Amino acid sequence: MSVLALPDKALRTAVRELPENALAANRQAALARFLERGFPTTRLEDWKYTDLTSIADISQRWLESGAPTATAASVSGRVEEIRAVVGIDWIVIGNGAIVDGTHIAGSEGLSIATFSELKHAPGYEHPLADLNAALLPDGLHIHVHAHSHHDRPLGLLFVDGADSQPGVTQTRVFIELDEGSQAQFVEYHASIGEADHYANSVVELSLAKGASADYVRIQARDGGHTQTHRTAISLQASSTIRYSGFDLGGRLVRNDLDIDIGGKEATVLVGGLYIAGDGQHIDNHVRIDHRVGPARSEQEFRGILGGRCRCVWNGKAIVQPGADGTDAEQSNHNLLLSERAEIDAKPELEIYADEVKCSHGTTVGQIDDAALFYLRSRGLDKQDAMRALTRAFGASIVSHSPIAAVADHLTEIVERRLTALTEDSDA
Amino acid sequence: MSTETENIESLVNRRYEHGFVTDIDSDSLPPGLDEGVVRAISARKNEPEFMLEWRLRAYRLWLEMREPNWAHVHYPPIDFNKISYFSAPKSDKDRPKSLDEVDPKLLETYDKLGIPLHERARLAGVAVDAVFDSVSVATTFKEKLSEAGVIFCSFSEAVENHPELVQKYLGTVVPQRDNFYAALNSAVFSDGSFVYVPKGVRCPMELSTYFRINAANTGQFERTLIVADEGSYVSYLEGCTAPMRDENQLHAAVVELVAFEGAEIKYSTVQNWYPGDENGKGGIYNFVTKRGDCRGANSKISWTQVETGSAITWKYPSCILRGDNSVGEFYSVAVANNFQQADTGTKMIHIGRNTRSTIVSKGISAGRAQNAYRGLVRVMPQARDARNHTQCDSLLIGKDCGAHTFPYMEIRNPSARIEHEATTSKISADQLFYCRQRGISEEDAVNMIVNGFCKEVFKELPMEFAVEAQALLNVSLEGAVG
Repeated sequence: MSVLALPDKALRTAVRELPENALAANRQAALARFLERGFPTTRLEDWKYTDLTSIADISQRWLESGAPTATAASVSGRVEEIRAVVGIDWIVIGNGAIVDGTHIAGSEGLSIATFSELKHAPGYEHPLADLNAALLPDGLHIHVHAHSHHDRPLGLLFVDGADSQPGVTQTRVFIELDEGSQAQFVEYHASIGEADHYANSVVELSLAKGASADYVRIQARDGGHTQTHRTAISLQASSTIRYSGFDLGGRLVRNDLDIDIGGKEATVLVGGLYIAGDGQHIDNHVRIDHRVGPARSEQEFRGILGGRCRCVWNGKAIVQPGADGTDAEQSNHNLLLSERAEIDAKPELEIYADEVKCSHGTTVGQIDDAALFYLRSRGLDKQDAMRALTRAFGASIVSHSPIAAVADHLTEIVERRLTALTEDSDA
Repeated sequence: MSTETENIESLVNRRYEHGFVTDIDSDSLPPGLDEGVVRAISARKNEPEFMLEWRLRAYRLWLEMREPNWAHVHYPPIDFNKISYFSAPKSDKDRPKSLDEVDPKLLETYDKLGIPLHERARLAGVAVDAVFDSVSVATTFKEKLSEAGVIFCSFSEAVENHPELVQKYLGTVVPQRDNFYAALNSAVFSDGSFVYVPKGVRCPMELSTYFRINAANTGQFERTLIVADEGSYVSYLEGCTAPMRDENQLHAAVVELVAFEGAEIKYSTVQNWYPGDENGKGGIYNFVTKRGDCRGANSKISWTQVETGSAITWKYPSCILRGDNSVGEFYSVAVANNFQQADTGTKMIHIGRNTRSTIVSKGISAGRAQNAYRGLVRVMPQARDARNHTQCDSLLIGKDCGAHTFPYMEIRNPSARIEHEATTSKISADQLFYCRQRGISEEDAVNMIVNGFCKEVFKELPMEFAVEAQALLNVSLEGAVG
């Protein structure tokens, strides 16, 4: 039995007590799978650098306290804060329950429904997706109709938090873009509350032929909270995804971005920025599977690390046999600001076809003394100079973020985070 | 010099034309592994008590370990009880009488290599410690070396004549519990080479050992230990050939290098164990642990390898950069053709201040082969101003092969400067067309381009190895184009 298993009985009870709906049978099947495997441990290659012991511990304490639905009085406050600064249509999922946003359902070319209404059984093949499917009250299904174009971004706001007892929440969203459709999405993860919290979410995107999606994921959880998040994107012929992920908060954060290229001439552009300070552990695993070619994928991740923290980046591009004409590029650059920061980077290529162009580059370094001196000689104090240089380092990701409506907010929160980080590292 | 040459010639000519089964009466232990076998190996080699204890401890550790399965290779499970763990030729006199016993296909291959061993040896004044099966049968140039104070002998001799050195250094770089195959090797290793270069001595010649696997079903468990004391220098060459055989054979060697302050060790390998035939039948499983420890300040360890053989290779020559200002280097060409699988690379562990490492890896895949680079660069918190540059390029020849890269970077010091770049490409039609148009055959053109691709590594090899390596590469890629 895995050391990171959860108590059988309590888990079964928690599943049984979920609202009775069309997902019930699926929950049982997923539960059986999770009980068999438990949480992944560091003995597994993909989890080598990320230890889920603390997450298993929160889950266990949550089960012991009767698996209450997490509630934090201040959740709505946090929702209002975000609404006030990013003026787009938000669907709010508070502690795993869809609380607001159904008004958007009426928009032309767009349908929004719950999994239970559609009898949509969420898939599960990864241990954390199993756990998610087993404990999921309900999921959100977004359907973008064929050839409809949506210029106004749709926001998905995941807000979690518990005030007294430890909380665990499961969130799941399925987005289906039909042929030739275009849409923009902003996925925002926030949390609040004093108690320990673990959020486990899965977002799936399916892009049909010629569909195109712009997607920005912002993770700004509270310092003490944990998250595992899985995004699975599948692309058909001539479809395009432009994806940017920003990780600024959270104590232990693991993101899996799994992209499956199943159609010719598909384009994948992925950007990512992680900024970690004292006590944070941020892990980004990206896997791009080129099943057919020609197709193009590009990913660029940048990390800024200060204080006592650890970041993990694993970028993997797979070129399957016969996927000729694949063009896959990955790059990862890291800036270490502190003596106690650690970066574990692993850019992987697995190539089984020969008509390909693949490359990757990774660098780890610190702020260039010469650049710092240059700025100081022009009258900037050390802190301002440091901030200017770190800001410049992250700027290529921030400025390439594909959705204009969140650009200002992103710039502001990245700036705020960097200020805190450079102040800390200066001390 | 002439007597030396004769020595080598006679030694080499007696029986060394790669790739035949020398039909001599091997004094083998029956297949299977238990404490009795470990004791029997130790007893047969008249080892002192400490060696037996060391082997037994390794064996007990091994029993609790699990076979690793993380490498990007696939093979049927190995039955460790079907392997015979000891095999020694009964007498030096039993030599093959003629080349008729040799598989003509392999002979042809080695003809194409075009470099007779004796010539290779003569070129550099190489001392040869030929490991025949598992027992060292000949060592030359001993006098010249002993004048300089260099100890170069088989591992068994070292245990007998220099037990204090063996006891002091054995297992200090690759401990028994290091990994599954290292533990197995520690328990049953039969022989290998031992080198000790005293303080301030520059070893007067390149040291060289040729291994070969003989006797069916005998795993080859070699152990090499090289100690370079303060301010010394040694260059060690290792070349491997193996006979044609249909059953897969296991080779689990361990190489330990220790470099003290200001010392330098250069370790070069040309590995062309039998890779199996065009259909992927047979071939050697080469699961090797090689590690160097730059123990003193300003020391340097350099690994250069040309890997063309073996059905499966699983090998990561590594450097522990403990001393301040120490330097680690890894230059590798790995070729995989037909059904070969290679998972090879290096580890650079930066511990001391101002340590530097360079990794240049060139992987070539052809046929249905799978070739993976797996490397680790770790910078510990105390390793101020560490520097690493890694370049890892793959060349694909054909539609059915694979090239993979798994680099790990674990950086815990902000002053580190780490760069990693990798590219994957194929030989372009333009390049080929250009050569063909100038009258160069397609095969020659491919060889030329591949040699150019590997130049950075070949230039690091000692001269005679470089020549052989190029020829070997051409032979290995035969049939890859067409």
